[in-house]
Amino acid sequence: MIYLRLFLSFMKIGFCSFGGMTMIPVINDEVLRYGWMTAAEVMDIVAVAEMTPGSLGINCATFVGLRVAGALGACTASLGVMMPSLTLSMAAVHFLLRLKGNKWLESALRGVRPASLGMLVAAALTLGISTFVIGTTVQWNLIMIACVAGFLMFRLKLSIPKTILVAAVLGLLFG
Amino acid sequence: MERWKRLWVIFIVMAKIGLFTFGGGWSIIVQIQNEFVEKRGWMTEEQIVDYMSLAKSFPGIMIINMSVFCGYTMCGITGAFAAAIGLSLPALGAIALVTYFYNSLKTNVFVAKILNGVRSVVIPIILSAAVKLKKTALKEVPAYVIAAITFVVCALSSFNKAVIVLIALVAGLLIWRGGIEDDLS
Repeated sequence: MIYLRLFLSFMKIGFCSFGGMTMIPVINDEVLRYGWMTAAEVMDIVAVAEMTPGSLGINCATFVGLRVAGALGACTASLGVMMPSLTLSMAAVHFLLRLKGNKWLESALRGVRPASLGMLVAAALTLGISTFVIGTTVQWNLIMIACVAGFLMFRLKLSIPKTILVAAVLGLLFG
Repeated sequence: MERWKRLWVIFIVMAKIGLFTFGGGWSIIVQIQNEFVEKRGWMTEEQIVDYMSLAKSFPGIMIINMSVFCGYTMCGITGAFAAAIGLSLPALGAIALVTYFYNSLKTNVFVAKILNGVRSVVIPIILSAAVKLKKTALKEVPAYVIAAITFVVCALSSFNKAVIVLIALVAGLLIWRGGIEDDLS
């Protein structure tokens, strides 16, 4: 049955990856195996995922599901790719909340919190380099857009959705 | 009744966040912080910081993991489902639309320009999360050291995030040894 197969395939993709680009090889394996898409189409879906909000995993599941088995296929594939979150993460947060206030847990989390921050800033740096430097040319216009939008957000307290819309308009004009 | 209202709010707010998530998962952190910590007080800032690296290091999609962590914290299992489904709904709609028009969008120069703008703004958005969460994450000297090491390792390599979180967790246990003062609240 096609729905079950979509669900299981995308569940496997979910469990075998850590989101983002790490999913591409696993996605490739699964969708090529069943002949759901060609390798070129997988690269197209990465481009589509860039154009739309949301994560690559959900976008890919929706795209393949829609293609293979319509709207219901899109839903089952998306649910499949969400399964690790709905099981492992669910169990983890249950455990965390149960042990809330435990001094040993709090000690461990005090180590994790600064690591979170370090990861966050590193993500900004990596993403910044890949966005602002193409080859060896620095995209000054994009840096300016980031600065203007950042100013609106930090100083004038513009909300995130509005800031993104402003950046889209600036991109249209100068990007 | 109160519970249903809360579930509805979680669902709607997550859908709104899902509509404005570009460039990987990190940009949702500050939106979740705004909506659920600052505006509504349903979560604490500590929880946001705890969850974000865990979400990254668990298998599956980071933002869905994050939504499950947050949804469960605010409203149990149903909250987790409301959050995860809410967050992915806009993507489902958008992808259907974009797929339909893909061939004309792919070569459209205006679309490329708009996306350039959107990709650029993701960086200040992520940095704003770092600025907001700094005081929660960096309370003592050892924390600065852990943050600096993590930053360098993540910036220079694609070292497995789950291993990094595990090391940080053990470091936390060894450094503080359960000897946290009464500032637990």
